[in-house]
Amino acid sequence: MRLRFDDSVAAFRTELLAWLAANRPSPEEMAADPSVSTGHAPAWARRWTRAMFDAGWLVPGWPPELGGRNAGPIETLVYLEELAAAGLPRTTNVQGLGIVAPSIVDYGTEAQRREFALPILRGEMTACLGMSEPGAGSDLASLATRAVLDGDHWVVNGQKVWTSGANYADFCFLFCRTEPDAPKHHGISILLVPMDTPGITVRPLPEIVHPEHPDLNEVFLTDVVVPRDNLVGERGAGWAMANGSLAHERGMVWVSAVTGLEEALARLVAEAPGLLARLPPTERALAVDQIVGSAIDTQAARCLGYRGFARLARGSTAPEQALMKLYASEARQRLALVAAEIQGADALEVGAVAMDGHHAVDQPQGTWLEQYFHSFGNTISAGASEIQRNIIAERVLGLPRG
Amino acid sequence: MDLEFTDEQQELRRTARSVLAAACPPAVVRAVHEGRGDGAGLWSTLVGLDWPALGLPAHHGGLGLGFPEVAIVVEELGRVVAPGPFLATVTQFAPVLVEAGTAAFLPGVAGGTVTGTLALAEGGRWELDAVHTTARRAGDGWVLDGVKSHVLGGGTATELAVVARGEAGPGVFVAPGTAVDAVGNPVIDPTLPVATVTLAGVEVGGDRVIVEPGDPAAAQVVERALQQATVALALSTVSTCRAIFEVTVQYAKDRHQFGRPIGSFQALKHRLADCYLAVERANALAWFAALTIAEDDDRRAVATAMAKAAAGDCQRLLTRDGLQLHGGIGFTWENDLHFLLKRAKAGDLLLGTAATHRARLARLLGLEAA
Repeated sequence: MRLRFDDSVAAFRTELLAWLAANRPSPEEMAADPSVSTGHAPAWARRWTRAMFDAGWLVPGWPPELGGRNAGPIETLVYLEELAAAGLPRTTNVQGLGIVAPSIVDYGTEAQRREFALPILRGEMTACLGMSEPGAGSDLASLATRAVLDGDHWVVNGQKVWTSGANYADFCFLFCRTEPDAPKHHGISILLVPMDTPGITVRPLPEIVHPEHPDLNEVFLTDVVVPRDNLVGERGAGWAMANGSLAHERGMVWVSAVTGLEEALARLVAEAPGLLARLPPTERALAVDQIVGSAIDTQAARCLGYRGFARLARGSTAPEQALMKLYASEARQRLALVAAEIQGADALEVGAVAMDGHHAVDQPQGTWLEQYFHSFGNTISAGASEIQRNIIAERVLGLPRG
Repeated sequence: MDLEFTDEQQELRRTARSVLAAACPPAVVRAVHEGRGDGAGLWSTLVGLDWPALGLPAHHGGLGLGFPEVAIVVEELGRVVAPGPFLATVTQFAPVLVEAGTAAFLPGVAGGTVTGTLALAEGGRWELDAVHTTARRAGDGWVLDGVKSHVLGGGTATELAVVARGEAGPGVFVAPGTAVDAVGNPVIDPTLPVATVTLAGVEVGGDRVIVEPGDPAAAQVVERALQQATVALALSTVSTCRAIFEVTVQYAKDRHQFGRPIGSFQALKHRLADCYLAVERANALAWFAALTIAEDDDRRAVATAMAKAAAGDCQRLLTRDGLQLHGGIGFTWENDLHFLLKRAKAGDLLLGTAATHRARLARLLGLEAA
């Protein structure tokens, strides 16, 4: 147990910082051409992803041919923290880099790696993740989009919803039912579906704040023809792969959640003197107590993340992932509400703080009240808080299923 | 950065747990609660194992291990609601001596012949500003006058580190237990017994002055010792909460109603998941604080206050839900649950409540001056 990193990490950090200083996109360049969806990669983002790939900084834990340098987990943690500190996303296409590419690398064919994974890693293509459906949200295994094999191709019919980035993505990592007679967890397969295939209609779903930048979409699939070879892994093994590939990123997603929380807290603490000065003493004391509560939440999130990471680095499957997801997303929601309530009626004003449109990062965006509403994205998606509590109760505490 | 225990630390925990399973079963705790025992046998066992010596430097007769090792033992003691002078002696008395750079009394602590405590609080406030007890020079020694409140183990400690104010500023003196008037308060958790200690013209010799009034380091010595005491109590309290959590989860699995375990009802599942979150949150913060002390990191003041505040938040939830989810059985004297509940509550109320430490954080984070 110790607080400080090993000296061996210092050389890694120094090399990274020097490379970032020389190669990073400038904040002005990023602000001038913001990403407007997680499927959208502006020109600077494409160049940036490519530059990181070529230099082995895109996925440090991978070998050089996949854009890495065979770094260990602690180096990867340092890398993610330094990128967050520098305000740099690794990509604007989080699902593509975080889930789709690793899944294809793990389960796909050589041709799929070449034609789908590497283009994501080189910043040439973006991908979306076709999972949720109108009738399959928390109960994802009930999904009903069907793919039927017809000679050398699949014919897909169905509907996806909440598909982030589908309005800009080049292809979809599509979960569909190929074995209608199998038990529901064993009948799901994954297809790689180019989004310009005839029969696909994308309808953006503007969100409750900043509807001008929709990221979520409905995706309608009508007799969509997909080459037979675009099946990823085994037929009917999609559910198992989903658990494997989602676990990929879960080990480290907490880093951006925590750095986002820290940045939001830093903003609140910086604004606090001005906000508190307007309040009479008793109300001020109550407000201060709320801010202190969020400061404790934030430090706890960092400590929980480090502890889960320490266990992950030792190879144990830490139960911390459901805990971190639940805790960090709810802490962020509390903080935004604390800040908005301290602002009082001024919190109602819209457009008071610009959105920079980088959907891919967890950095605070917009006003406090907008952040509060936006924070529900993280307490609802990828397993709502209630589902996380069920997971903790059943898988960590061993309570019987109801 | 590594927040996981080493193999040696895990081994220490396993040893401590197995020792305490035998030496401090619920019957020992019950005897203390029912006025039939004081845990003296347990203390002899711990002394025999050199536990009071764990964190003390080798040149004072200690084993030279660090604060994390002391913390592990403190957690295991909290888990079984252990009575006895360990917490007061090892996490309150010894730290003042070590911080003051004195060798006095430490070999006695290490050998288990000296038990001690920190007599700081007055009127229930553990802070220097609350100290009105006076120290007056008399010949080679000093005369102490004042009333100390909520002195942990104050009724039985052989030595008390008394914080008192001289003309030149605060100082620290060690008064023998036989020289003070210590009255044990009847408290709801007798495993953490507190006393009101009255010092009426108590004379202490020059060799018992640990920090001379006017020494510019006085405030820092007290503050740094208090941080260790506070983090230790936070760790102990969270560990007690984890014990509440574990027995409550087990009860939810065992107890059947409507033909199924009550733990299969989502209303209980979600409450227990939130309890788990509260325990893990407080545990992570307490261990972070323990490491800032072990490594003398400059975040230790903030980390200490966060740890104690989070331990308070944790016990509030675990005490409430632990009792509520046990239903009627947890409400009875004959069930052992209430020993845990009362210990957890005492852990919040001593050395400053969660609210006290949040107020301290407000100052440390620069939010108060607005």
